[in-house]
Amino acid sequence: MTQNSTNAVGNSFKLGYRFQSYWGTSMARAFFAAEVGTGTFLVSLYFDYLLGMILGLALAGTLKPFFHLSHMGVPAKAWRAMLRPDRSWVSRGGISMVLLVGFGALHIANRSIGLDKTLGLDPQVGEMVRYVAIAAGLVVICYQGMAMSASESFTLWASPLVPVASFCYALTAGALSLLAIGWADLGAEPQAVLVKFLESMLLLDLVIVAGLLIHARSKSKGGAFSVNLLMRGELSGQFRLVAVFLGLLVPVALVAYGGTQRLFVAAAVVAFLVGFYTLRTLLFKAAVYEPITHDLAGSIGLARSR
Amino acid sequence: MSKLGMVFDLKACIGCNACVVACKQENSVPDGIFFTRTLSYEYGEYPNVKRVYIPTICNHCEDAPCEKVCPSGATYTRADGIVMVDRDKCIGCSSCAVACPYDMRTMLDKSALEKGLFGTGELTPFEKQGYGRYTPGTSLKCDFCSQRVDAGLKPACVATCPTNARVFGDLDDPNSEPSVLIRKRGGRQPLPEKNTKPKVYYVE
Repeated sequence: MTQNSTNAVGNSFKLGYRFQSYWGTSMARAFFAAEVGTGTFLVSLYFDYLLGMILGLALAGTLKPFFHLSHMGVPAKAWRAMLRPDRSWVSRGGISMVLLVGFGALHIANRSIGLDKTLGLDPQVGEMVRYVAIAAGLVVICYQGMAMSASESFTLWASPLVPVASFCYALTAGALSLLAIGWADLGAEPQAVLVKFLESMLLLDLVIVAGLLIHARSKSKGGAFSVNLLMRGELSGQFRLVAVFLGLLVPVALVAYGGTQRLFVAAAVVAFLVGFYTLRTLLFKAAVYEPITHDLAGSIGLARSR
Repeated sequence: MSKLGMVFDLKACIGCNACVVACKQENSVPDGIFFTRTLSYEYGEYPNVKRVYIPTICNHCEDAPCEKVCPSGATYTRADGIVMVDRDKCIGCSSCAVACPYDMRTMLDKSALEKGLFGTGELTPFEKQGYGRYTPGTSLKCDFCSQRVDAGLKPACVATCPTNARVFGDLDDPNSEPSVLIRKRGGRQPLPEKNTKPKVYYVE
């Protein structure tokens, strides 16, 4: 038997690709909830739509911490995750999340009951609260991608396109959710703006996903291994049918041809969210550690092949 | 200040895995977790097929990615270069595990210590004396047997290797055994393209 090419070796004592299993379903759900919820909050805030802001913040502020805590080995010490903002994206994200929930709730309170007037505060205080909530929200929809791309372990993640994907998917999810939630209240003009925005964003998401795959395949053998899993391997069904076809192509068609009808928009929301969640889980499932001495010739001096 | 590191002699390693057992024994490593492994790799075409054994261990990188991403400050580097985990500070977020390109971090399952080696829920005397050093849910890694190093001994895997395939010492000392080996036989680091500056080298 020969083994010139390395394969997935599980937990065995053989040289080969090892799947990452440390970040699993709980982390995927936490990332998904944060991106959908914060995206909805930010887009609703832009259109000044209160119900959207409330639902978005509630989604991000409850499900994200819940799934993170259920993933964590020692949840009682979760506060420690915010101690190293100087070097860790997890810390920066944790702090941003606290700021988002705090200042987002204050903005909602201010917007709904006029908190600044009730307390006799300068209107600029309310504006400042709004800007802090926006800034924190922007960090939240990017930092998860930053935390992934900061890891050099997995070529699939180690790409600047990963945080861009987080950002764009979050805004797409936010715009779609707002369109569905606020269908009756938004009015024709905001609806038309949202539909145009969504057409562009869904196509942009498609380009980013393609870019992620091209980058990973060209950067290393481990990246090519991951891409092969997604495109032709055991994960290809979920990736091609659910994440790409159902999650991106179907919503583009539904929004482009039926953006003025509520049923089409609702179907687009469901299709996109299913695809988005699938992509989130697949990015975790397809990530592989390069064999420790992957390029044996280069790394430790063995002949490449004989 | 010293810079402790290790050299693996691939010509000397016979894949007996005595190092793996010694590590398990010295550190009471729970079931399913290995701080060191000896990986096998076969190459060539019949009839010229060869097998090589490649020992692996935490590389105690100078620019350790696991330390950089740790949000709680639980991962730190000692003055002698050993990368450690403070289990009281670790929150079990697994950031270090996904940041280590060598897959040399392990998360201790919350129930791993309760099940015991035999999965019966009853711990052997060996487990009872050894599991006190672990906190369920936290990150585990090789620490070059820091308790032995502090006592002036070599790590258990090095001390037990029957073929001297593992050489341990101060890489800052040009006359130390590993430094000489690296210099004379052209030591190479694993996955150098990751820029982690591993303190573990391989020689052929």
